[in-house]
Amino acid sequence: MSDRSDNMPRCPFSLDRRRFLQGLGATGTGIAMAGLSTSAWARSCPADDMPDTDPEVTSAPTSTATTDAYPFHGTHQQGIVTPRPANGMIVACDVLARDRDGLEQLLRTLTERIAFLTRGGTYPQGDPRYPPADSGILGPTIAPDGLTVTVSLGASLFDARFGLADVKPRHLQRMTGFPNDALDPSRCHGDMSLQICAHTHDTTVHALRDILKHTPGGLMVRWKQEGTVPVMSPSDTGPTPSARNYLGFRDGTANPDTADTALMDALVWTGHDSEEPAWTRGGSYQVVRLIRNFVERWDRAPLAEQEAIFGRCKDSGAPLAGGTEYDIPDYSDDPDGQVTPLDAHIRLANPRTPGFEKHRILRRPFNYSNAVEANGQLDMGLLFIVYQADLEAGFITVQKRLNGEPLEEYIKPVGGGYFFTLPGVIDENDFLGRGLLEAAASHA
Amino acid sequence: MSPRSLFLAASAFGLMTLQGTVQADVATEALVEPVADYKLYVLDNLDRFVTHTQDFTQAVEAGDLARAQSLYAPTRVYYERIEPIAELFADLDASIDAREDDYEKGVEDPDFTGFHRLEYGLFEQRTTQGFAPYAKRLMADVNDLEARVQGLTFPPATVVGGAAALMEEVAATKVSGEEDRYSHTDLWDFQGNVDGSQKIFELFKPLVIDEDPAFVERVEENFAAVEETLAHYRQDADDPTSGFVSYEQVSDEDRRAFVGPVNLLAEDLSTLRGKLGL
Ligand code: HEM
Repeated sequence: MSDRSDNMPRCPFSLDRRRFLQGLGATGTGIAMAGLSTSAWARSCPADDMPDTDPEVTSAPTSTATTDAYPFHGTHQQGIVTPRPANGMIVACDVLARDRDGLEQLLRTLTERIAFLTRGGTYPQGDPRYPPADSGILGPTIAPDGLTVTVSLGASLFDARFGLADVKPRHLQRMTGFPNDALDPSRCHGDMSLQICAHTHDTTVHALRDILKHTPGGLMVRWKQEGTVPVMSPSDTGPTPSARNYLGFRDGTANPDTADTALMDALVWTGHDSEEPAWTRGGSYQVVRLIRNFVERWDRAPLAEQEAIFGRCKDSGAPLAGGTEYDIPDYSDDPDGQVTPLDAHIRLANPRTPGFEKHRILRRPFNYSNAVEANGQLDMGLLFIVYQADLEAGFITVQKRLNGEPLEEYIKPVGGGYFFTLPGVIDENDFLGRGLLEAAASHA
Repeated sequence: MSPRSLFLAASAFGLMTLQGTVQADVATEALVEPVADYKLYVLDNLDRFVTHTQDFTQAVEAGDLARAQSLYAPTRVYYERIEPIAELFADLDASIDAREDDYEKGVEDPDFTGFHRLEYGLFEQRTTQGFAPYAKRLMADVNDLEARVQGLTFPPATVVGGAAALMEEVAATKVSGEEDRYSHTDLWDFQGNVDGSQKIFELFKPLVIDEDPAFVERVEENFAAVEETLAHYRQDADDPTSGFVSYEQVSDEDRRAFVGPVNLLAEDLSTLRGKLGL
């Protein structure tokens, strides 16, 4: 540490105290509104609109999508049926609040921060002798940049600490290992997961730092995994082809149609089952799995074997029977697996037999690339995220069917957890988890 | 202390920044006395640090393993208390308190000296054999530190900023148990950092309490919460001067119980300089 207080370089600024105080009054009683207050500092630093010049090597990358904003208020949280942007991360946290009031305070703070971050706006400017209100990594005014933050709760939150056991979602449980898993305890479970997605990576990092800065006594990060999805150019002739995962296959093709609200009500949103607590309506079960891919080995596997393992053509993403990516696989005239092996990933995951529709899940994965393993092999894989109305009927049933699939030779699930994504925040008076806390209060 | 108010502190954080900006600057003269008192505190701790280091290093040189082990943690406490000042001398801080992670070759690195080099010998290799040169060097460095601090003018911003810096230390290296990985005496260091931070806070409290009593109350509550958890792990729960059990015995739940108040203290105390116009 060094003492630089006397010769610290400072941007010149001038304070209009009267306007500042008015701004303070308008912010009411808490951080809730901090992001909304207009800047009261008239800076004498030049505005940052630069004259047009030819791009230089360090010119900022530009995008026209930074103003994309998904409305925060609604029956469901964003980040589930919201189109998947190029960047996503899962941050699993432990809740440090000591009682239900503390938990409510945490959920209210999260609500306020997410509402601000996903809408964008200007941070208040303060006295430079204080730490600034924000990390500033996106500048004093932030753009929404397609940001979504999705809050989900783990089974451990329903232990004795907060007295929520009686209102736990029916299927919520601690994730248990499947036969091919090698779970690393430091990358599993958590009281809460935050799924943060945006067009650019820095927007997700900024949101995370903002949230942690505002919840110092409330949350402790347990583990975090970031991921990406390659950006595709739209096709002129048909639907945009699906992005590829790190095994080189198009991923997401056979997902249920998120535009079909009746289908989403049946497959994704919880609460239509009368045995679930009423507060869960509009929420969803979130499964996160960190699935390492052995990419060196995979890249040395014959193409025909790769395609047989998935049951799809690598280049086009079409079913092995032919056609295009979006042709629906039909196994009815292939009962012995001559064309699509019976143990192909997609055939096990969805045999397309009558009655199997209810086991369909909504996948929203990202590719991850971390450091290297001790053996010099790349540590990369799939940040597998799925949503379903019923955890048992969804992920657990499908994963059990996949146990022992040939793909297992090339993958190793190492972490993750089961969470319940809270229903959406209806309006300004509502907050994340209100229904849960009210249900718990009336149960007591 | 109510757990609720603990959490409220967090959510009120954003507002603290705003309140600070409308506060009148504290007159520079008002800082003179607490800074002088702090220097006395540091010198007193340094004095005791020198004496304890003498006993500790003599035990190493005399080959008394058990005694050297038992004096390791109680000696370090004095250093941990005054770290904001001690750290001003980067060369000595490195030779006295660096950890093996600071060196590419780890414990094998010829530049790796000081407490943690001795810790490795005493608690991992369980020997004093060959460690006399490290003991001599440590004693020389500690004497040097005392001489240098005596001649130092204490910069107010460093002193005040030290309250938060110490909590950052706790958050970064104590909660995880990586500071004293062989002796597992982290709780001693933890207490040292907390003592040092609390001392600074107490000295400057009179200058901020009228302007922001809520801030003072929050900080006191969070210090109390940390102390309460620490007390569970005292060898003698009723004796605040007794030592601590091994950090290995601290439950995951309690490790987490530290994190909340420690982070809240780090956030709150990070505004202390601003509140004092530094
Ligand atoms: C690293 C691991 C995995 C990889 C690389 C992978 C890759 C793929 C690929 C390439 C497809 C075909 C394209 C598509 O329909 O999206 C697919 C389909 C599918 N996968 Fe996976 N997957 C993995 C893990 C899982 C897991 C853990 C589950 C569930 C337990 C799962 C469930 C599904 C389902 C339900 C389909 C759609 C099948 C259909 O309806 O035709 N996948 N996967």
